[in-house]
Amino acid sequence: MNNIYIYNTFINLLNLIELLINNKIKPYNIKDESYYRNLFDNIINLEQNNNIDIIPIIIKKIGIKNFNIIYKVFLSNENNKELIIYYFYLNYLKYKEKVLYMKNLKCVNKALKISKHVGNEAHKLKGFVRFKELKNNVLYAEIEPTNNILEIISLHFKKRMPNEYWCICDNKRNIISIYNKEKIIFIPKDKFNFLTNELSNNENNIENLWTTFYKTIGIETRKNDRCRMNFMPKKYWKYIIEMKEEL
Amino acid sequence: MELKEKLKILSDSAKYDASCSSSGSYRKNNGIGNAAPAGICHSFSSDGRCISLLKILLTNCCIFDCKYCINRKTNNIKRAIFTSEEICNLTINFYKRNYIEGLFLSSGIIKNPDYTMELLIETITLLRNKYHFSGYIHAKAIPGANNNLVKKLGLLVDRLSANIELPTEESIKLLAPNKNSNKVENIMNLIKNSKSRKFVPAGQSTQMIIGASKESDYEIISKSEYMYNKYNLKRVFYSAYISVNKDKYLPTLELPPLKRENRLYQADWLLRFYGFKTNDLLDQNNPNFNILLDPKANWALKHMEEFPKEITTCTYNDLLKIPGIGLKSAKRIITSRNKFKINFNDLKNMGIVLKRAKYFITCNGKYFIDSSLLKKQFIETNLILEDKEKINKSITQLSLFNE
Repeated sequence: MNNIYIYNTFINLLNLIELLINNKIKPYNIKDESYYRNLFDNIINLEQNNNIDIIPIIIKKIGIKNFNIIYKVFLSNENNKELIIYYFYLNYLKYKEKVLYMKNLKCVNKALKISKHVGNEAHKLKGFVRFKELKNNVLYAEIEPTNNILEIISLHFKKRMPNEYWCICDNKRNIISIYNKEKIIFIPKDKFNFLTNELSNNENNIENLWTTFYKTIGIETRKNDRCRMNFMPKKYWKYIIEMKEEL
Repeated sequence: MELKEKLKILSDSAKYDASCSSSGSYRKNNGIGNAAPAGICHSFSSDGRCISLLKILLTNCCIFDCKYCINRKTNNIKRAIFTSEEICNLTINFYKRNYIEGLFLSSGIIKNPDYTMELLIETITLLRNKYHFSGYIHAKAIPGANNNLVKKLGLLVDRLSANIELPTEESIKLLAPNKNSNKVENIMNLIKNSKSRKFVPAGQSTQMIIGASKESDYEIISKSEYMYNKYNLKRVFYSAYISVNKDKYLPTLELPPLKRENRLYQADWLLRFYGFKTNDLLDQNNPNFNILLDPKANWALKHMEEFPKEITTCTYNDLLKIPGIGLKSAKRIITSRNKFKINFNDLKNMGIVLKRAKYFITCNGKYFIDSSLLKKQFIETNLILEDKEKINKSITQLSLFNE
């Protein structure tokens, strides 16, 4: 039988992996709750341990930099990310800092690649998010990123615009992050009611000005669609207002 | 005049400035905005250049008559001027919606340099103090303005720059009769010598136009090297000349010399990060870059006696001299080989591209390809062929899009 361990949150996953490693258990796979059982699977649902103390414990063992790698892998869209985290962590405990250069180890190579990929997407989205101002002065943005980078970019905007009300909605995962000038909260989209979804009076005007600027700033004799596409892939165009006309 | 019309005129006049970086600064947020040290690109224009700053002129009225410039006083074009409030409102509204990373404010010379400078200072002071904007601001210092005004502006902005525009005094006299390089270099000197950390925290840059005057690449790169050494510039930008005016002193170009611009940027990087000197790359007899081959490969082919380099033992500086190996690759090789014995397979796993490097390296004494083939002629044709393939590929793929 294939032993599949089930978890529900990131904290829970970390607790589970720590438990497995301490007891020298090699899982066949680790999956979240939505996993659909196969014929030969043996589903193991351990008691859900959500002890948050696990984070400092792990950071003490592997350092904050490597913890961030694990976190970013968790945010990715990768199919077997849990297993990659498990083996990355296991190998780190075995080889220590050296492991980062052992690119021949598949799990390490993958973990580093994925975390970089997630970091890159988060950085791109910090630029590509477009807010619209609603009637009640709330700034509202929608995104559909490949990886779950909502948390990373929300923290970025908290530092950048601490005195505005804003929310960012991930339409792919149906989560919304809301900032109330104090802290950010993340909730499922359907549990949140907008008081208004009407745009502020000024909004169309500003968007118009921006589109005008965008069109003027490009130099006709240097036109290079391929180069632009490389830097700004089409999958993001849907929510980038200046690109709507070209979509 | 309507705001939209103004924005159109004054961004159209500003678009020939190549600089748009927003990196290298740190500023505490006391209202709205912060500067991200890594810089963030918010959009990309149709020419593939990044848009991170709201790039506008305060006014395109100008008392100067520089032949190459669209805003020269003898051109019959629409003129406009922004009020301070208009610029602040645009910046804040764009910034709040995350369209931009900050403001890039330049200006034509209106009345005289001092007056223009005062207008710039007034606008940016308003933006910083009344609107509490802490995002990135790049401003142009106006050559010929009073030193005190330059110092005042420098305390408000993240980056300050003055464009040298042309590499020799001769062509400046010919094409920009109202300018002289002493005034520009005076500003560079002033910025360099300031001790305060709050003064221009992201450093200064400048720009040169490529192809409007007769200078060779050798003269251009020599000038860059001189300015990097003397004034600690962060960047020199090269801007391929675009024919906007007709004049007997100007060349008539249908398309800007983009490939030449590209080669100059490559050489610029070699100067700043790879330990090359201008005289390694070019000399009086060989004053221009090979359009078919990048400067580093070109250099390597002329110095075949230095190759092959042994990857497992050569120094970091030697690694940087290998075509196809960049800063990141070199660092990766160093850190990895300190921990393990590396072989060609490891190089691939490290993400190091051997396409160009394979002709110039050995690993544990072994060549990657048949060493009897490694003749200068063979390598040269292969490297050029690779580039050509790349170009052909892009042409066929582009035509697919057009269909």
